[in-house]
Amino acid sequence: MCLAAGLLLSGGTAGMQEAAAFERVNGEKILVVAGRQPVDTLDPSIKYNASIRMMQQALYDGLVKYQGSPAEIVPWLAESWDKSEDGKVWTFSLVKNATFHNGDPVTAAAVKFSFERTLGLKKGPSWMLADFLKPEGIEVVDDHTLRFTLEKPYAAFLSFLPWWYVMNPAQIAANEVDGDQGQKWLTTNAAGSGPYKLKRFEQGRLYEVERVKDYWKGASGSESIGGIVYKLVRETSAQRAALLRGEADIVLNLSPDEFEQVKKAKGVKTSTDPALTSFGLKFNTQGKYMSDKNLRKAVAYAFDYDSLIALFNNNAVLQTSPFTDAVKGKISVADIPRQDLEKAKQYLAKSNWPDGGIELEYVFVQGFEATRQIGLVLMDTLKGLNIKVKLVPLTWPNIVARGSKPETAADITAIFTTPVSVDPDAVAYQYHPKSWGQYYGTHFYDNPKVKGLIEKARYMTDWQQRAPIYADIQKMIVEDQPEIFGMMRNRMVAYRDYVTGFQYSPVRMTTEIDFYGLGIGE
Amino acid sequence: MLSMFLKRSVLMLGMLLGLLVITFLISHVTPGDPAALAAGPDATTEMIEQIRTERGFDKPVIQQFFLYAFGILQGDFGTSIHTTHEVFDDIVAFFPATFELVVFSILIAILLGIPLGVISAVTQNSWIDNVIRIVCSSGVGLPMFWLGLMLQLYFGLQLGWFPLGGRLDLMTDPPMTITGLYLIDALLTLNFPVFLEALHHIILPAVALCFPALASIIRVNRAEMLETLTQDYIVNARAQGISVLRIIGLYALKNSILPTLALIGLRFGWMLGGTVLVESVFDWPGIGLYTVQAATASDFEPVMAATLVLGAWFMFANFLIDLLYGWMDPRVLKKG
Repeated sequence: MCLAAGLLLSGGTAGMQEAAAFERVNGEKILVVAGRQPVDTLDPSIKYNASIRMMQQALYDGLVKYQGSPAEIVPWLAESWDKSEDGKVWTFSLVKNATFHNGDPVTAAAVKFSFERTLGLKKGPSWMLADFLKPEGIEVVDDHTLRFTLEKPYAAFLSFLPWWYVMNPAQIAANEVDGDQGQKWLTTNAAGSGPYKLKRFEQGRLYEVERVKDYWKGASGSESIGGIVYKLVRETSAQRAALLRGEADIVLNLSPDEFEQVKKAKGVKTSTDPALTSFGLKFNTQGKYMSDKNLRKAVAYAFDYDSLIALFNNNAVLQTSPFTDAVKGKISVADIPRQDLEKAKQYLAKSNWPDGGIELEYVFVQGFEATRQIGLVLMDTLKGLNIKVKLVPLTWPNIVARGSKPETAADITAIFTTPVSVDPDAVAYQYHPKSWGQYYGTHFYDNPKVKGLIEKARYMTDWQQRAPIYADIQKMIVEDQPEIFGMMRNRMVAYRDYVTGFQYSPVRMTTEIDFYGLGIGE
Repeated sequence: MLSMFLKRSVLMLGMLLGLLVITFLISHVTPGDPAALAAGPDATTEMIEQIRTERGFDKPVIQQFFLYAFGILQGDFGTSIHTTHEVFDDIVAFFPATFELVVFSILIAILLGIPLGVISAVTQNSWIDNVIRIVCSSGVGLPMFWLGLMLQLYFGLQLGWFPLGGRLDLMTDPPMTITGLYLIDALLTLNFPVFLEALHHIILPAVALCFPALASIIRVNRAEMLETLTQDYIVNARAQGISVLRIIGLYALKNSILPTLALIGLRFGWMLGGTVLVESVFDWPGIGLYTVQAATASDFEPVMAATLVLGAWFMFANFLIDLLYGWMDPRVLKKG
């Protein structure tokens, strides 16, 4: 057995049990998606993450939706919209044929109710618009026309709307308990109009959706399936096994090594594309050591950037700006550091520690092997500067807790960041002092000039005026070096070759795919 | 016997209270802001404060403890800050899966471990004994997680003999819930196809889980048997011509089984707490996995409730073993 196991570990798949076909129920094909993240709740006003959003996107519709690569906003429940010249008033015209799963029409009143509910509960996506949109600014013009009047113009307004889902007020009212606005019920039930309706919610095991046969927007390639099961498979080796054996048709976020193995397997297709997610080593710019810009530069020039790509088996691209490639207005900053030990030594000589002799603390997520290896690379490269690195693995809650204050934040923290919008404000704002205390704000970066530009650009409505400001912001951030701008790790999705309609969009999170349009071919 | 029962019961209640205090304290001194985590990565300070107030995290810790303890007395284990589910409902949903797996595993360990221990002792230093001892050494040495993965890859993926995970096939509806244990419920409802399917699914995780316990039971039972077999009364029995089977089964085993019983009690408790690794490999939707997920998200109430339930079960298992001990060896009763 041990010998066989050894062979398996070495990647051999010869002699493996033949892959079974997809599932069938009552003669209908069922697609099985295997992922690692459970779905805590389905309530669109309460929470979002990769798996939650994947299910919400299947069960609900928004006014608009992100599609394609590069991610673009396309009309959805709203067939068109107008923006006033000052950028404060947005008027949306809704499609007339959209219905909720129980047959009720999707009206402007339902949209208003949904936005008010999300704003009022102050959870989930409410932060995206809370500073700009108040309940009194939402007005029903007629059954199919809705007007938003913002407190102040906000350039990124439209880019957040795909994550604001529309709920059926009647179903929520019918299931309200003690004035909870249906929160308890919506945790495991849905009141949407999306392309799928909920069939099973088995916490910690699986979540099944059934295709809405008369979906108001059409099936768009999903006619071949009766539904989709999102099944929890928590180990990547088990995910790989499930895909190879045909127990799963799509697997999300395999480890780089597992991904390389399934790429070679018969009957499996893979997708690797750069995402909106960035990986960086955040310096605590208010800490004892990393407040020294020359030391930050020295560390940034000493770092071995190629190792980042190698660790992910070339399924990653180096960042050339604080903004990832999918973000609108991203430029390649010419002098972004790459490994150059001579330059590193020159910067170190100008720092408060010209001879090194210090120890920097590097914090990473416990159990996340890639980030530990990156720490080892850092340790190795900084030896040349006579700087020691102490690797500190922490659980995610502890990383967030330590990173909440400059006094407790580590010198260097390894962080993956996924913005929820392709608007540059979503990334630029990570370098605004208001982001301090957030996991992506552990750099505690403070440059009043950059802050001023971020605030100026977010309220402007003309892209031609915004674009050069964001170009300046990117250059200034790189110059200040609040972090090592690392890489964009590709999304790695593997699926059986009979799966059709898989569409990649960089705006989706690491383990999130769009169920709409997926099907099973011959 | 009654006095021993009462003493052990009072002791158990005291230990449960201690467990409640310790779990609460550990949960509340560990770094990490549960409200911030629940609010999500982009939440504003206002959103975080709202959750903190809603959940009473802004109250003094002592007050939080008493509120929690009174809730427990009323059967209210609170709600998960992440899933917003009632923790009691979650425990009811997840515990049976773990319990079924552990009971099945311990049964395998007992049914194989005791006879193999006896055989190993009776055939001391023979090739049979050596093979059994090698199995024992690997059982103690092999990490359960690794063994689970190997079993899954070889018997699940390579040979295709067993499913890769889960309690049932994806599209199979569970049997009508009576006990929450699929094997039992399927039998009670005479749903034999589901019974066979559930059996098919439980074998690999149960084997992975039982291996360390199996090895320990064999080792302890072997050692005890070896000692017992050299006792005068056994020699005397042999001299009287009593059959070997009768000597082993009636005289030797009964006297050597007591330490094994204590070990089974302990192992049963450890298994309940230690299923998380196996549950993780085989996607067994049990309480171990539930607890770890809650713990890594600083979701206190599920962690405290699960710890209490597992702790209570561990104590109860040992309580039963104590009683069994007393029944098998009346000297224990006299000592109290």
